[in-house]
Amino acid sequence: MRLKPAAVALIFAALPAAAAEDFVLENELALCMGCHGENGVPSEPDYPIIWGQEYFYVYTQLRDYAAQRRDNEIMSPIAAEYDRDQAKLLAEHFAAQVWPDIQADLQEGDQQIAERGITGGQCSACHGKWQGDSRIPRLAGQQVGYLLKTMLDFKNEVRMNAPDKISTMKQLDDDTIAALSRYLATVDVQ
Amino acid sequence: MIRWLTAAIFFAATFISGATNAQEETSSSTLYGDLQSVTQSMLARAAGDGNNFLHTNGNYEQTRFYPASQINTSNVKNLRPAWIFQTEVVDSMETSPIVVNGIMYVTTAFNHAYALDARTGKQIWHYKHAMGPVTTYCCGPNNRGVAVSGDKVFMGTLDAKLVALDAKTGKQLWETQIAEPELGYSETMAPSVVEDMVLIGTNGGEYGIRGFVKAFDTETGEEKWTFQTIPENSVGVWATEDATGRNMHRDIEAEKAALAEMGDPYETLGGGVWQNPAVDLETRRVYFVVGNPSPDLDGSLRPGDNLYTDSLVAVDLDTGEYVCHLQYIAHDVWDLDAVSPPIITTVKNEAGEDVKGILHAGKTGHVYVHNADDCSLIRFSEAMVPQEDMWTLPTAEGARMLPGANGGVEWSPMAIDPNHRLTYAINLHQPMTYTVRSTPYPEGKLWLGGSFDVIPDEEQWGNVTAVDYDTGDIAWQVRTEQPMIGGILATAGGLVFTGEGNGLFKAYDSSNGAELWRFQAGAGANAPPSSYTVEGQQYVVVAAGGNAQLNFKRGNNIIAFTLAD
Repeated sequence: MRLKPAAVALIFAALPAAAAEDFVLENELALCMGCHGENGVPSEPDYPIIWGQEYFYVYTQLRDYAAQRRDNEIMSPIAAEYDRDQAKLLAEHFAAQVWPDIQADLQEGDQQIAERGITGGQCSACHGKWQGDSRIPRLAGQQVGYLLKTMLDFKNEVRMNAPDKISTMKQLDDDTIAALSRYLATVDVQ
Repeated sequence: MIRWLTAAIFFAATFISGATNAQEETSSSTLYGDLQSVTQSMLARAAGDGNNFLHTNGNYEQTRFYPASQINTSNVKNLRPAWIFQTEVVDSMETSPIVVNGIMYVTTAFNHAYALDARTGKQIWHYKHAMGPVTTYCCGPNNRGVAVSGDKVFMGTLDAKLVALDAKTGKQLWETQIAEPELGYSETMAPSVVEDMVLIGTNGGEYGIRGFVKAFDTETGEEKWTFQTIPENSVGVWATEDATGRNMHRDIEAEKAALAEMGDPYETLGGGVWQNPAVDLETRRVYFVVGNPSPDLDGSLRPGDNLYTDSLVAVDLDTGEYVCHLQYIAHDVWDLDAVSPPIITTVKNEAGEDVKGILHAGKTGHVYVHNADDCSLIRFSEAMVPQEDMWTLPTAEGARMLPGANGGVEWSPMAIDPNHRLTYAINLHQPMTYTVRSTPYPEGKLWLGGSFDVIPDEEQWGNVTAVDYDTGDIAWQVRTEQPMIGGILATAGGLVFTGEGNGLFKAYDSSNGAELWRFQAGAGANAPPSSYTVEGQQYVVVAAGGNAQLNFKRGNNIIAFTLAD
């Protein structure tokens, strides 16, 4: 049985990550697996794949969660328990894993709509071929639901830790964002 | 043998007829692989070197005018690929191939460097930089090439290091950390070498850095001097007009109030230097242009003129001390900054007298012509691209203004033909809206203060433009299918070479813009071409790897062309 996100949130609220002085990497990884999967495939469609994600991006996100620059009811209290070195250990671990294959499908017209959005937002100037590099996250092969949620969260000013994305996403209509999500999820991971 | 003699005759014709800017040819002829190290004399006389291509932009003056004419208007139709080398990295390529005695040095995205046999394309060595875990860069994982001196090859890296390699083996000799990548510093520009100094600027204007140009010791990598492109007093004169005299609609009173409240914003004011300086050995000065202020679109957090962003700056070669500057756009909120490398050449001043001048092509679409003595502006050219509603301030909803934020002329270097007294620029036409959204400094993350967004329904295109730098008039202009980014080369053969995002690499008649030759490179030819001669055979070479910024098709080819037998 898979737990609903709200239930997961309640569990993690009740079982926070170990305090900094009690940090044991294996224990923390077990905690992460609850949502991000034992094999790298997350338990929910709008949770991100973090196996094989860029080290510095993961580290930065943990720090942003901790500082509530990126606010999330599950991740913020967990990340708040990690000091910088512990966040780096976790980021190093996940960056060293193999990105999992997931199934994603394009709908008719998605590619054209997505490319139009990419041109408008000049996305490739930072994201290149979508494979990620250091502080730029890998988007290729990411979960559709997570990509969709993330871009909408920027557009709707829910996610605030990369403020320039807000202006960019506000230029894109929701249909373009949906097509872009499906498109990115189907880009080959290199 | 016949070809060698032909080349010699063309060289002789070039130098005999060479008028005011006749180039001085180096004395030693090039035989492949004689392993002669690169001397300061060779570097200083590169403008007349019809064998090698020793500097990113051809010579210290950065004319990108190659003085050989074996390939010329009458025979360029016979230009064919001599060889194609495929690098390990399929991604954006902006490298200017450097050629020393038949050995070519090229770089790729993510800081791979290769030495190749320039006659055959055969790989001699391959260096892959051990990239650190933190890189922060804009706009693509690019590298624009190496500098050479002595027996060393120098390259800047995305993790903000300068590395020195053994030119014969590719073995790393030393590396030095230029700045902190976590704070937004990175290197994509090619370094320049003068005597015992390696000069290099920094990226980071999109991340709240404080820009600089630094000089490092060629032997040890130790820092010799630093010029901060942002002075501690960055306020300036509260200029209300740009360099062309147009009102920029600044709210000076609001800026003064902000300055009183928050102080000088110099510590995070940007001011990257993306391209090589022009070096004047006669006056011991270097001239470079400084990029945009941070954050790009939000002026509310950075009151004042934001010196020396969007400026031509000259400093003393030996000390890095300030000499002079001219700011094109004070308090820029459009990212229409200065990135294309400046050129030193003789120009007419207002009185019609020949003076030492500096040329720079702006994202605004103007070629600016300066007096080298004091950096003052002599003239600016006709606009090479449409300008509409300048200077409309960015709004929360997005305001349309032309040019778009990529220009005009982006980082792409110009070339000149001193005989025609023309400068050649490649331009973009990309209609955009400018949106402002104020956010505090996000500590090394992208900090644009809004966004510039391409208007998808409006047509984009580019052009190749020749400008008479003595008058500012456009001599000829050729439109291209796509916005242009990469660079251009002029030769004594009466040609200019430049490539396009659709893969076309073309030669034009430099006197009138007539297209004389084209080749489909298979990926965006968005890098500056070079030319060289080995064993009497002239080649033209270009990298075709596409472009990340404009999302042109990526590739990994270095393609050298020569005349068919």
